Amino acid sequence: MGRRAADVALALGAVAATAAFGQAVGTNATTAGFLFLIAVLGVAVARGLVAGTVASLAAALAFNFFFLPPIGTFTIADPSNWVALSAFLVASTVTSRLVARARQRAADADARRAEIEALYDLSIDLFAATNRVGAPGVAAGRALKTIGAKGGGLLLFREGPGHVEPVFDLAGNLDPADPLIESVGRQGETVEVPAADGARDVYLPLAVGGKASGVLVARGTRAEKNALESVGRLVALAVERERFLRERTHLDALRESDALKTSLLRAVSHDLRTPMTAIRMGLTRIRRSAGDSTAVDDVARETERLSRRIDNLLAMARLDAGTFVPRPEPSPAADLFRTALESLPLVLEGQEVKVSVSPDTPDLLVDPALAVEILANLVENAARVSPPREAVELRAEPDPLERKRVRLEVLDRGPGVPAALKRTGGGTREPGDSGRTGLGLEICRSLARALGGTITFVDRPGGGTIARLDFPTAEDGTNLR
Amino acid sequence: MIRVPGAARILVVDDDPAIRRGLVAELQAAGYEAFEAADGKEGLAHFAADVPDLVLTDLAMPRSDGYELIAAIRKVAKTPIVVLSVRGGDADKVRALDLGADDYVPKPFSVRELLARVRAHLRRTLDDATPGPLKFPGLSIDRERRLVTVEGREVRLTPTEFSILEFLASRAGKPVTIAQIIGRVWHGAPGTTPDAVRVHVGSLRKKLEPDPARPRFILTEPWIGYRFVAEPL
Repeated sequence: MGRRAADVALALGAVAATAAFGQAVGTNATTAGFLFLIAVLGVAVARGLVAGTVASLAAALAFNFFFLPPIGTFTIADPSNWVALSAFLVASTVTSRLVARARQRAADADARRAEIEALYDLSIDLFAATNRVGAPGVAAGRALKTIGAKGGGLLLFREGPGHVEPVFDLAGNLDPADPLIESVGRQGETVEVPAADGARDVYLPLAVGGKASGVLVARGTRAEKNALESVGRLVALAVERERFLRERTHLDALRESDALKTSLLRAVSHDLRTPMTAIRMGLTRIRRSAGDSTAVDDVARETERLSRRIDNLLAMARLDAGTFVPRPEPSPAADLFRTALESLPLVLEGQEVKVSVSPDTPDLLVDPALAVEILANLVENAARVSPPREAVELRAEPDPLERKRVRLEVLDRGPGVPAALKRTGGGTREPGDSGRTGLGLEICRSLARALGGTITFVDRPGGGTIARLDFPTAEDGTNLR
Repeated sequence: MIRVPGAARILVVDDDPAIRRGLVAELQAAGYEAFEAADGKEGLAHFAADVPDLVLTDLAMPRSDGYELIAAIRKVAKTPIVVLSVRGGDADKVRALDLGADDYVPKPFSVRELLARVRAHLRRTLDDATPGPLKFPGLSIDRERRLVTVEGREVRLTPTEFSILEFLASRAGKPVTIAQIIGRVWHGAPGTTPDAVRVHVGSLRKKLEPDPARPRFILTEPWIGYRFVAEPL
């Protein structure tokens, strides 16, 4: 209100001063008209549209009163002076309007420039200065300062809009349970609530690529909606960036631990196998010089078992570490049997083994190294529990229950399936049951699973156990038998 | 070092002294003359100086590894090379075989198995270049007439099957990589896939093997290729 009165007072003062100056100098009516026009322009430039309009009206009256005959009255004698006065009024009003509009535009441009500068500074702050995890809180603080908020803060949805986590609170009065927060997060639309003194409380959804990751609350702001939304987008980007940084840090850590696992495995595998090789060679020498000795035979057999167990564990560890992915290739059952038996020369010394492969057995589609690992473990178990002079049998045939699968069986005449295996259908270890359900069978089960196969143990008619594996076949016609 | 006149000479290249010592002792006990070297460079020097009949080499060694040694030896000689490999390193084996190694024995190996391989490769060098028919127990391959008989009965093979069998049998006892088969039988024709090789070998085995449970001639070497296992007569 005060500004309006000042505008009017200044406009009237300028007109009065011009009139006084014109009288004092004693100008004619034409000169006086130009003087008034200059005064009106000056007022419009300095004070805007209202002052300019008041000045042009006042100037028209003063022009008539002081300079158009009869002087000293608001009447006009000469009709041509009516034209002059009207022309003056139109000219002064139009020019004051034009000038005022130009002035307003300049002011708007200034404001917009200031706003863009503020946003630019904010974005520099957010993305150049805060290159670290935990930055969204800092970002929200700067953003709220930029838009002149008196309160508010940043809330993030950790697992969707139902789980609100306050990250930054400008004035210490942010309420995470505010129902508007959740609804803004769900709808993804900005909500404005009028506050004291013409200011607003604004809830800005923070969304990059659709889903809202949080809400920025600005209390008591007077900023334009456009500016607010720009600020919201900047904060959303800062939040997103922090998430990426966090994920990258996590991935880097994972990658490092994977690399560590791989090099550890390589070292362990080399460091275990080299002494194993040396021990086996030493044993051969001892055997040669000591002649037949049950003790040396036992050590040799157990060494063989130990080195197979090391291979088992390394295979498992590689699978676990993801450094080894099974590479299935068409593998004939007979080849797998033969390789498995060849890897057990000492265990099978004096042990009869019968192998039968049904002629219509297709090739298995398995990782041959892992399949041999499994078969060797099963054959070793079977040989250990078999009574003397009872053969261990290996059989292969197409799965009678399922097409495109092959069934491999290892049969013994031992004491049958232990209770623990029957109950769990697998190889859970239990005290006192270590013979059958030990490490070897647990490893078999994991390896079989990794190959897309299953392993089951059933009682064999007439006594003993059947360890039954079934594996996928090489389906694409590469039947190598 | 025990010098056995007329005994085959074997060079052992391994960076682990315990294995080197053990191998040399075993080889000497088996009647061979053995030399040792700790890496590829040293191995090559011994190869030039001692002119061994067979080389046993590790692959991963400091300074100069087994691949370098294999490549260097193959430039000058056909001496059999048996690689002592770590299990699971299939790419390593294929690389060594394609460079010209003749065989591999996975660590930890049994001495008996190793000596059997050594014997087989030494024997083969003596009668490698014999032309004429290839004869194995129960199988004979007449290269000139392209005729194959199993247990005295003629078996009809396609030209591709015959070429594969001839190639495998001429390298009896040695592992042959799929790439080597493609190179020899298909002359490296582009687009020849390992699966094509498997299909032909599959039908070849069906025609040759009387008992599917006991393959006598062609065995699959996982990830490598095949090995013709029958002993030549």
